[in-house]
Amino acid sequence: MNKDRLFIIIQREYKAIVAKKSFIIVTLLAPVLMIGLMCIPALLMNINSSDARQIAIVDLSGKYGKEFKNTDEYSFSILENVPTEKIKQEYKDSDGGIYAILVIPANVETTKQVNIYSDNPVKISLNEEIEDVLNKSLSEAKISSYDIPGLSEIIENSRISVSVKSHTWDDDGENVSSSTLSMIIGMGLAMLTYMFVLIYGAMIMSSVVEDKTNRIVEVIVSSCRPLELMLGKIISIALVGLTQIAVWAVFTGIGLFAISALGIASTSPDAAAQLQGDMSQLPLSEGEEIVQAILGVDWIKILAIFVLYFIGGYLLYAALFAGFGSAVDQQSDANQFMTPVMMIIILALLIGEGCMQDPDGTLGVVCSFIPFTSPIVMMIRLPYEVPAWEIAVSILLLYGTALLLTFFASRIYRTGILMYGRKVTFKELLKWAR
Amino acid sequence: MEIITVNDVVKDYSGHRPLDHVNLNIDEGCVYGLLGPNGAGKTSLIRILNQITRPDSGEVLLNGKPMTQEDVMHIGYLPEERGLYKKMKVLDHIMFLGRLKGMSKNDARKAAEEWLERMDLSEWSNKKIEALSKGMAQKVQFISTVVHNPKLLIFDEPFSGFDPVNTEQLKKEILRLNQNGSTILFSTHNMASVEEVCDKFSLINNSKVVLQGNVNEIRRKFAKHLYRIHIAEPVLAPDDSLFTIESVKPHQLGGCNATIKLNPGVEIRHAIESLNRTYNLMGFEEILPSMHEIFIETVTGKNE
Repeated sequence: MNKDRLFIIIQREYKAIVAKKSFIIVTLLAPVLMIGLMCIPALLMNINSSDARQIAIVDLSGKYGKEFKNTDEYSFSILENVPTEKIKQEYKDSDGGIYAILVIPANVETTKQVNIYSDNPVKISLNEEIEDVLNKSLSEAKISSYDIPGLSEIIENSRISVSVKSHTWDDDGENVSSSTLSMIIGMGLAMLTYMFVLIYGAMIMSSVVEDKTNRIVEVIVSSCRPLELMLGKIISIALVGLTQIAVWAVFTGIGLFAISALGIASTSPDAAAQLQGDMSQLPLSEGEEIVQAILGVDWIKILAIFVLYFIGGYLLYAALFAGFGSAVDQQSDANQFMTPVMMIIILALLIGEGCMQDPDGTLGVVCSFIPFTSPIVMMIRLPYEVPAWEIAVSILLLYGTALLLTFFASRIYRTGILMYGRKVTFKELLKWAR
Repeated sequence: MEIITVNDVVKDYSGHRPLDHVNLNIDEGCVYGLLGPNGAGKTSLIRILNQITRPDSGEVLLNGKPMTQEDVMHIGYLPEERGLYKKMKVLDHIMFLGRLKGMSKNDARKAAEEWLERMDLSEWSNKKIEALSKGMAQKVQFISTVVHNPKLLIFDEPFSGFDPVNTEQLKKEILRLNQNGSTILFSTHNMASVEEVCDKFSLINNSKVVLQGNVNEIRRKFAKHLYRIHIAEPVLAPDDSLFTIESVKPHQLGGCNATIKLNPGVEIRHAIESLNRTYNLMGFEEILPSMHEIFIETVTGKNE
């Protein structure tokens, strides 16, 4: 193998993809789309809140109507001393202005039911709003009706929410950890590997097929070894992938910063409240504990192992894609070989998801040794402390298999790239590999 | 000095043997033709010479030494199926292939620019390949083949797809490269070009070399003692002791043209003396078989 030639090939392949219009467009547009997806709900909420819907309340109980406070979405007004039938009639005849009429019956405390009248079925958020307000005020009314001193305080104090704070031991002592955080880290790393292998593996395949369709390949392999061309492609596309991810990361970062600076996202208190609501559903209710848990993760170890698996997994699948790609003449024929490879990757992700419940279960342990699934499954298990020997054996297996597959793929590649006009079967590929 | 020696090369694919004990010697500095019908095994041999595939048995020597992968640096190869990266710029493309053959970036740029100038493509050097006409792309392909000034040039059907003007230019450039010291090996169906430019050739048929040697010697060997004569008289009488008449046609400047076949053992000067005594002999010329005829005769095993 000649390093200079490999470098020249990597350079050309990298430039060829990065200079493509479609690549530039996807690279630049994806962050815009992503930011857009994040902002649009907030923007929409802003638009909605600008014209709050009018709700008329006919309060026959005379107590609970005043509990309704205007929100961004709805503004409430109480109609005094108007017979229900009359207002219903007026409302039906009028052309808008009022979105719905809420009728609170006099005996609402016993019926526990109110009625709402409108042209169209009302929004669920209105129902929820009404239920929230009335549940609260009716409960309070009920409590105070018992007339026991300090009862409301007693009830308030008896509302208990337990949170589980987990600690793990390591050499330095105790660390605060979080199984939710472990899950998020594991799934995030697994998804990253999965997406990278899938997207850029397919790119390798199409690059190989393109060379063949162009008929350039015979010229190139008369100047270098087929292995050099194949490795050149695999390496350059990995670099392309890293470039793209780096651009996305930077752009998304800049975009999010700009948005928070402009305050678009924060102008919507609902969105902020919603976000907080989501957070509070995590077992960690305190931000401090999240920070503690994040600090408690051994990032250097996890990331170092991740990089090893990421590279190994990529090389393994890249060899498969390159080998199979060389066997077909046209992009459209590639599916025959593409599908089985994709199935394995998707299967690996599904097994990984399954392992989240039980990271040390048999399936998870077995699949974190199998080189085709280990780069993804091991990521899921990694934050839950995997024995070092397991990781070592699994990485050795992964790299051993990747090297072996690269060797066989290069043999298939050597024969395949010069073979035209024939539909190649798996059996023939095995023969070429020998 | 032999630049290429092919010793008893066999190539096998499953159920098919494209090369069957092929021997071939190419002298340094010559123009060597590789002839044969489609599927005879020419491309298989050329791929072996380029180290793209390896022979199953036998060996290939370059300058007397077994060829290695690094030797391809001294070879320029124009495959029959042309291909270029369509999205690359002309100059970049030529430089890329030059650098793959071991040139430095600067040398590659200099040589590429010189060649673009020579082939009237200078103003296209920053255009993408896809913007070029087919003829121009073919020229770029040719430049890519020769840019690293290789000692051995291998052309597989170099003239296919070229118009007559460009064919002539290409032929001129190939001969110029030959004069500058490059050895040329080319495979072709164009027999006229073989007579014109080749010193030696091998004819491959059904995976075997069936005819090999110096172009003129082979043509002489295949000579059928046919001569074309031009006489001032309108009629040529037969002379059984010397020749038989194959055909007679009136000549547009008067007299007639005839094709005669000398009897075995008759010397040419006797025939000329005898004819000159009877007629006003204005022309006497040997008809050598064309490479085309030799090709067909050898491949089909029939005399025309």
